[in-house]
Amino acid sequence: MINIALPKGRLGEKVYKLFSEAGYEFPGILDKGRKLIFENEELGMRCFWVKPFDVPVYVERGTADIGAAGKDILLERSPDVYELADLKAGFCRMAVAARSDFVDDPERILRVATEFPNIAQNYYSGIGREIDIITLRGSLELAPVLGLSDVIVDIVETGTTLRENNLSVINFIADLSARLIANKSAYKFKGDTINEIIKKLAQ
Amino acid sequence: MLNLRLRPEEKAALNLRALYEDYHYKYYRMSRFEEYDFYADKKDFLTSKRILTFTDTNGRLMALRPDVTLSIIKHSRVFDGIQKFYYDEKVYRVPKNANNFQEISQSGIECIGNLTLENLREVVELAILSLKTIAGEHKYILDIADAGIIAEILRGSENKQEILKCLAEKNIHELQNMNAPEEIISLAEGEEKISSTKYNTFYFLDEILEGLKKYHDVIRVDYSVVNNLNYYNGIVFRGFIEGIPESVLSGGQYDTMMRLMGRKDAKAIGFAVYLDEIGRL
Repeated sequence: MINIALPKGRLGEKVYKLFSEAGYEFPGILDKGRKLIFENEELGMRCFWVKPFDVPVYVERGTADIGAAGKDILLERSPDVYELADLKAGFCRMAVAARSDFVDDPERILRVATEFPNIAQNYYSGIGREIDIITLRGSLELAPVLGLSDVIVDIVETGTTLRENNLSVINFIADLSARLIANKSAYKFKGDTINEIIKKLAQ
Repeated sequence: MLNLRLRPEEKAALNLRALYEDYHYKYYRMSRFEEYDFYADKKDFLTSKRILTFTDTNGRLMALRPDVTLSIIKHSRVFDGIQKFYYDEKVYRVPKNANNFQEISQSGIECIGNLTLENLREVVELAILSLKTIAGEHKYILDIADAGIIAEILRGSENKQEILKCLAEKNIHELQNMNAPEEIISLAEGEEKISSTKYNTFYFLDEILEGLKKYHDVIRVDYSVVNNLNYYNGIVFRGFIEGIPESVLSGGQYDTMMRLMGRKDAKAIGFAVYLDEIGRL
């Protein structure tokens, strides 16, 4: 039996589409209900929806053998797992954005609002800039507009939301997309099956 | 006769002791405390950088031992021969993703001195037999790699840490994105050797495995086990048991660490077995 953790939401639906196109179908999985676990006995596979941020936890602790997680979440949590494939779905970027009239004053500590404190910290440590991290749980665009922060570190897809709030990207951090991850121990013993799944997903 | 029902991890620890005694390793009993200073400059060697400290009756800052290997090196004698130790101890660490200190049961062996190929082979064999002892009827596997080759390929490389991280993740797509050396990519893809003649000088791993053919179905060359090039210089390995989500055994040859501790000519190899998870089997 292969257990698969999929992230609830848009990215997860895109990834599930890849699975169903590869012949791994779980009837009823896209219905809007409360059911979270779906099994396909014929395939010997079980799928479950979890919060996107939790996918690496399920995989690292072996409850799921494999899972699909956004690179943003992998960078933030750095789980001890194998990252076996780029699923090439949900492309976007991690970037620094600020108000269009923002001018960086290197003499001051930069106030950074983000949902990804580790990514922000790593990025600014890498360029040797001292920052004050403000961790928020969404609506990041508000932070620089209202003066809570100087910049934000956030996921940018099309940039429309940024533009609507008079913000623009000032630094690029990383390319993001959905990745297929696997529990290290599970991969030792179910590696052939997992590799077969990856091969079919890539076709 | 005592009529005791032992917990699986206790039973495993005793079985391992019997195994190591069979191979003439000597039991090494040590204090749970070391002076904090001892660890201060070796934090990279420790899996968790946080150390539980307290002040002793003389006002010295002490640490509850986060690691056994360093203490064994420190207390081992300096001489030409070979010293073989085994231990069955508790260590105090903040495990990854945990919020507080935990007491962790650890058994293991260290083989220190003027090591020969036979010694290295014996330690790898003992790693396999340790896995066999605790796995019962479950499947087990020992992943092994040559950290020396990786160090040689990555010498002078700017993004060494990123490359090592991707290698540990079998992250081939990112390795390609960052233009990692071809040899690293092919090892990450599962090649057991690199074909380039540039590095063809030192195939120690081959020689070690040559003498361990009878275990070929439980040994796998897998370069995702290479992580820390600052201390490990020769072979490194990691053991897994089906049903336990993380590795239960981890070790390697750490001559570089010996040198850092002032033991210039000594070689050393060892491994630790983590027993707390085996109750899940």
